[in-house]
Amino acid sequence: MTLQLIAQMTITAITLGLIYGLIAIGLTLIFGVMRIIQYAHGEIYMLGAYFLYYWFDVLHLPYWAGLLMSAVVIFFFGVGLQLLLFRPLHGKQMLYSLAVSLALIFIISSTGLITFGAVVRGISSFVTGGVKIVGAELTYERMIIAMISLTLILGLWFLLQRTKIGIALRAVAEDPETAALMGINNRRIHYIAMGLGSALAAVAGCLMGTLMFIVPTMGFVATVKAFMIVIMGGLGSVVGALVGGFIIGIIDSFLTTLASSELAYIMGFVTIFAILVFKPSGIFGQDWE
Amino acid sequence: MNEKSAIRIRPPLSIVLWIGGIGLLLAYPFLIKQQKYPIHVAITICFNISLATSMWLTWSLGFVSFAQAGFMGIGAYTSALFLIRLGLPLWVGVWAGALVGGVLALVVSLPLMRTRAVYFFMASWAVGEVIKRIFAYYRGFLGGWEGLFNIKPPRLGPIDFANHTAYYYLALISMILIVLAVYRMNKTRTGWIFWSLHEAETLASHLGIHALKYKVAAFTIACSFASLTGALYAHYHQYINPRSFDIWVSEFALVHIIVGGLSTVAGPVLGASFLTIIDELLRPTGFYRVISFGVILILSVLFLPDGLESIPERIRSRIGRFLEDKETRKNVIGASIKGLPKTGKGKE
Repeated sequence: MTLQLIAQMTITAITLGLIYGLIAIGLTLIFGVMRIIQYAHGEIYMLGAYFLYYWFDVLHLPYWAGLLMSAVVIFFFGVGLQLLLFRPLHGKQMLYSLAVSLALIFIISSTGLITFGAVVRGISSFVTGGVKIVGAELTYERMIIAMISLTLILGLWFLLQRTKIGIALRAVAEDPETAALMGINNRRIHYIAMGLGSALAAVAGCLMGTLMFIVPTMGFVATVKAFMIVIMGGLGSVVGALVGGFIIGIIDSFLTTLASSELAYIMGFVTIFAILVFKPSGIFGQDWE
Repeated sequence: MNEKSAIRIRPPLSIVLWIGGIGLLLAYPFLIKQQKYPIHVAITICFNISLATSMWLTWSLGFVSFAQAGFMGIGAYTSALFLIRLGLPLWVGVWAGALVGGVLALVVSLPLMRTRAVYFFMASWAVGEVIKRIFAYYRGFLGGWEGLFNIKPPRLGPIDFANHTAYYYLALISMILIVLAVYRMNKTRTGWIFWSLHEAETLASHLGIHALKYKVAAFTIACSFASLTGALYAHYHQYINPRSFDIWVSEFALVHIIVGGLSTVAGPVLGASFLTIIDELLRPTGFYRVISFGVILILSVLFLPDGLESIPERIRSRIGRFLEDKETRKNVIGASIKGLPKTGKGKE
């Protein structure tokens, strides 16, 4: 019984950690490259989930195509946001981007409430069945979702480390002026970072919506988690986001099962406070103003 | 010596404006014949200004504290518990709240100040959120999510502060005192030290400024101002729950500062008044209220990045440019008569 419980909690922790990591990596990309606070990241995650819901559950189109389409559509949504709102703020105080994205939260989540309705829905599963590991249920759905998240995270890491565009992204994050002197189009890199980050959030939203439920107000919780993870792991660090995701996943899964979700929430914030006190720039972050 | 006394005869314009403004605020309830709703809005504005000003104080050192709402909650809960459990009125509770908030801020700020910039923002957010969740967690003593009820406003001799007009004066006085304190502090040497830490912390510490000391002091003062406001808030609404001290309260305070302007204390005052009034005006639009609020926020950040406080300066410079234009035009015309080429014509 206890072993089963532990196994179940571990499985939940890993899946949650990977999805949280996916949201957070999008944020860390946006943050690291453009140095703006994209506070409405969670709302984009919500929009991605609703896109898949309408695609799959209302229009009955294929699931995987929907996932891809959601990522593509949200990619361009992110590019549009960058074009209209964040580009004019480039190089200014970070607080301005915070204010603009706060306004975006108001606009997107209220528009969501009006159009989608304040109803809790779920995206239907794309696969049924599962296996038992030491008595704990591991559904194929959960397994596939974890695999997708892991693949995307590793894919992004590969992109950043090995490809030309990834090196350009890192160069702009490191030193925009020198990067520009080397012939990198900063503006285009900003669009790519914003689009990619948003697309990752959209995929995370789709997966989370399949696993749990969707409501128009689910965005803010995701924003909070993403910020906790990103700051905990260190800004601009992909590994940090993954580790932070696992830490929050473990806290959420174990404490919610053993005590209450209230306590899980408190402990999450206490942990991040403790980490920041001992490592003021996060676990893997470099010192950065 | 003589010149100095000659200047003193006429008080400076700013003092006249201050006194006029305060007089207008004092007369406000009677100008609107003591209608309840406008007075309620005015009280809300007072609270928002106080909170935004306290946050602006931390901003003058270069960091944004998202723990402000949590500390407001500490003041509110302390004062409410003093009344409910001990039967002590607001007059005791407000000071107790400010004291508890200040002491707690002092304790928390020592580790908190290790973090900087965005990390500070997140760490202070964590502090505020933990405070709020603790209110919710202790169901027996702190009332849990249902909160605390029946927090009666105080009496002072014949004045019963359950009356909106009377409470308005209480909120107004505390707001004016907080704004004045922050304004005065900003003008002194301490204020200059705060701004020096804002601009270049490393340089300031090399000049012998104890950065940590000033940061802790400013954070403590700001948090006790927030707690004081919280105590007044609790006794005004007579009901508090953890949701009243949500992260959104801090975020709104930040938005008030940004829209109002970041560089002087006029920013939080103007921003909080303007946005609270806008929010109340949008109330009849229901769902669209939040959307319109968001749109107004975006527009004001994009088109008025220096905030509302920069409007007089803008108007002045526009008028100045207009007059200058006239002058140049006259000169140009005069010059052209003398056979010189025309330059600088028209508005840039």
